[in-house]
Amino acid sequence: MKTKWYLFIVTIIAVTAIIFSVLQFHQKEEPFEVGVLMIGKNRDQKFNGLKKGLEELGFDNKEITYIVKNANDDEDKMKRQIVALLDDNPDIIVTLGGVESTLLKEEMSEENKRIPVVFAGVAAPKELGLIEDYRSPGGLFTGINNYHTSISGKRLELLTNLVPSIQLVHVIYDSKIEISQLSLNETKEAAKKLNIRIHPYDVSKNSNVNLRNSIKKEEALLILPSFRIEALTDELVSLATDKQIPAMGLYEFEAEKGMLASYGASFYSQGYQAARFVSLIINGNSPADLPVELPDSIRFVINKETKDAIDVLYNQDLLSIAEYIYPDQIARGEK
Amino acid sequence: MRALFNYFQSQTIHIKVLVFGVVMSSIPLLLISSCYYFYVKSDLETRIYEKQNLVLESLSHEIEADFTQIFQSSHVLASLLQVDQGESAFYELLQNESIEEAVVTNEKGFVVKRVSRYSLNLPGENERWFTDDMWFKLQTEDQVFGEVEFNQYGQPVMKLAVPFYENNRKKAIGVVVQLQKLIGKISSLRQDDSSYIYLLDRNGRIIAHQDYSKLWQKQPLVQNQNVLGVRAKINQINWELVMEQPKATAFEPINSMLQNGLAAVALVILTVSLISISAGLYFTRPIVQIDREMNRLKQGRNTRTIDIDRKDELGKLVITFNSMSKELLEKSKLLEQEKERLNVVVNGIGSGLALVTKDYSITWMNPILKSWLQEDRLTLPCYASIGGEDSPCQDCPITCSNLTGNVEKLMKIKDYHSAERIFRHRVFELNHAIEEQGEFLVVLEDITEQKQMEERIVQTDKLSALGIMASSFAHEVNNPLTTINVYAEDMMDRIQIDDETLDAEEMEYYLGKIKENTQRCKKITSNLLNFSRKADWTNEVINIKKTIEDSVSLVEYQLRKNRIQLELDVEKGLPPVIGDGLKLMQVLVNLINNAVGAMELEGNLVISATLVEQEILIKVIDNGHGISEDVMDKLFDPFFTTKPVGKGTGLGLSVCYGIIQQFGGNIEITSTLGEGTTIIIRLLAAIGTEGYHDENKAISCG
Repeated sequence: MKTKWYLFIVTIIAVTAIIFSVLQFHQKEEPFEVGVLMIGKNRDQKFNGLKKGLEELGFDNKEITYIVKNANDDEDKMKRQIVALLDDNPDIIVTLGGVESTLLKEEMSEENKRIPVVFAGVAAPKELGLIEDYRSPGGLFTGINNYHTSISGKRLELLTNLVPSIQLVHVIYDSKIEISQLSLNETKEAAKKLNIRIHPYDVSKNSNVNLRNSIKKEEALLILPSFRIEALTDELVSLATDKQIPAMGLYEFEAEKGMLASYGASFYSQGYQAARFVSLIINGNSPADLPVELPDSIRFVINKETKDAIDVLYNQDLLSIAEYIYPDQIARGEK
Repeated sequence: MRALFNYFQSQTIHIKVLVFGVVMSSIPLLLISSCYYFYVKSDLETRIYEKQNLVLESLSHEIEADFTQIFQSSHVLASLLQVDQGESAFYELLQNESIEEAVVTNEKGFVVKRVSRYSLNLPGENERWFTDDMWFKLQTEDQVFGEVEFNQYGQPVMKLAVPFYENNRKKAIGVVVQLQKLIGKISSLRQDDSSYIYLLDRNGRIIAHQDYSKLWQKQPLVQNQNVLGVRAKINQINWELVMEQPKATAFEPINSMLQNGLAAVALVILTVSLISISAGLYFTRPIVQIDREMNRLKQGRNTRTIDIDRKDELGKLVITFNSMSKELLEKSKLLEQEKERLNVVVNGIGSGLALVTKDYSITWMNPILKSWLQEDRLTLPCYASIGGEDSPCQDCPITCSNLTGNVEKLMKIKDYHSAERIFRHRVFELNHAIEEQGEFLVVLEDITEQKQMEERIVQTDKLSALGIMASSFAHEVNNPLTTINVYAEDMMDRIQIDDETLDAEEMEYYLGKIKENTQRCKKITSNLLNFSRKADWTNEVINIKKTIEDSVSLVEYQLRKNRIQLELDVEKGLPPVIGDGLKLMQVLVNLINNAVGAMELEGNLVISATLVEQEILIKVIDNGHGISEDVMDKLFDPFFTTKPVGKGTGLGLSVCYGIIQQFGGNIEITSTLGEGTTIIIRLLAAIGTEGYHDENKAISCG
């Protein structure tokens, strides 16, 4: 009887130990699912930055699976894609812009979903209601405040400092986009401090930019944030080029397309920076505790060709800190 | 440990084989695994420290280089401002991405110029840029830095400043360094196996940590013992980088290896256990079967033949056991038969038997002995229960180990009716007895009837002798009586006739003769009475010469009547013998009577007594007709006689033999038909009276 009990116990122990070993052997870490929402193709750089950032932080491609939803600048499509993404229930969602973040927030509230969200560049997230506070977001959202609102005044200062001869600045904004409106207010305040004349132009009221007749020499264009305005970039570049006036955009792609300069966080660097949030959340932090960050760096980019084409005097000090881009070389695939 | 060993000892063989197998298989495996485990653990720990040092070294150098560059740039700007280089130098400074803004303060610490990356380049009115602590240090040091703080947008920043002189006024260049990227990078840098890095400022506050809940807390001074960690100082700004890894995850690979090892050990133990149990059962099955059959054997039940087809030692053992058990059963049966016989003998022999140990305890007695002994004495030592003594008998082989043979003695025991009975008591030493079970066998024989019969035979023989001697006695008594009568008549006649010659002297002579013959008669009758007296054996000192003479006096008439010449040859100074003198006289009378009968008329009878080597030899030699050789063997048989019917009882020589045996001596007869017969009696001489011992008294062991 003793022997039978002994055998029984030893068998149980051995089988348990073997099962544990086998289970441990076969236990594979499931890859993290990261849902990515982008309103249009122009967010590709952010996505690239995100992937690169995660890679440099030590996450290889096997550890992270991306579920990318690109709405091709269609808000309705974006909404449907958000519903589908929430059904997939990813571990984290990264939104690559303000529109994506706002729509996601609405849908998540409706569905009462609790998935951590990192916004990779949203202007004024607190004002949009994504977070409660910059230091302690308090909810499911955290990420990068891309500062487009707050540096609107700085961009005005930079533009007028770069080309001191500017007498009037046409400020292109979108009254239907809250951030754009907030940026305009900021710009107006700075203009007052700097004693600069500005002329706000609301693109929401016009299907295209009807400024061609009103723009004169020694005037300039200042672009405020709005995905609608981003869609009008080519038109604005054409206007500036035709009128031989300086134009200050937000993103380097605007300078690449022909604007004189841009000052803002690059899409790529925002995506890259967002990777840190993803890593922190994967490591167990709650988005509620992760303070919203400003962009690590703001790029001041000058299109060399545009600069050379416009016949104005430039502030050499500012030119010394600017990054020059050469659209022709970019077009040819060179850097 | 001892208890465990004893417990192990008490287990069955197959359990022992199992334990042996498991111990032999698992202990070396565990020892090797343990050594390997500790070696690998130590190696892994070293590698982890090396890796952590490498990571921290790289990071700390990076941070240090950044701050060094910022300070250097600030110093360069300070020197440029002294030569009034203007705006461009400021913008040069902003080329460093980490610098958020640069300011120039006047001698009072108010901002007089600003170049900012995010804000407008407009200095505030009387805007103080320095904290008191920084401003105080700035007065003495060539570069200062402040605490980590947050700017208006919530970003961690730190202020650095270097002084410079303009028009002999001490001014300063201050820069705000953006720490968000640095802190974010350190916090979010993915580390393998739960490693984490954190950054401590000069006050020991955690300013970067993977776990944001730990940010801005003071690091506990006590080193966490559950982690493996290294530290690296960033001397430029007194920061410290720490990299740690919980031991639980650091050692997870080897713990996992250990777990697998233990699983392997468990599997090995299971396998070995199965093999050991099979082996144990294989080895012990015959033993168990043998044990079972042995138990049956012990209980006296019939055993079955163990059927195991093996050629090894156990197979041979089984064959031997089968054969042995069969033989044992047969012998048991024989033993039972023997026992039965023995019981019949022991209980039917009529003797009392007892087993006695060396300390005189009776361990067993047969029912006959029990019936002889009184109930309340059965538990007493043998000398008390049987002998009725208070101490062990000195002439007992149990007491005297140098006494050999079955020392025999007679003893008298009173039975339940207080009638005295005679027992022959013998003690046998058992050579194969079990200690404490009784090393001696005491045999008691009730010889009361035998003794009585012997005595009756002796008495009968004596009466027979008396019958033979009756006429002799009559003649012997008649002669003195005749003489008395003659003297008495003569004296009476002479008195009646008043014979004057009958004087006093003559009368005295006459009376003297009468007295002399009366005494002779008295002697004859008393001798006769003495001889015919029935008495128990009495040990006494016997004077051989006197006994021979007394014996001869009883048969003197017969000798004369048959004209037999008697020659007495008794050595002078013979030592006495110990025994019953009357019985010895009976022997001699018998032998003389036989000699007289053999010689009939005119024979010669020689009776001699000599001392030869401590023995007294009494020879009775006649020259009668002798004894034929074919009856020599029967001479001592009771009731054997060569005399005609009515002439002899046939008890004479038999009684003689018995009496001489009782003396401890022997009797021999040699005879030649037609020439005569010689009878030799050998008796142990009691040289010196000190050699005498009463038979019923103790005999010294020496």
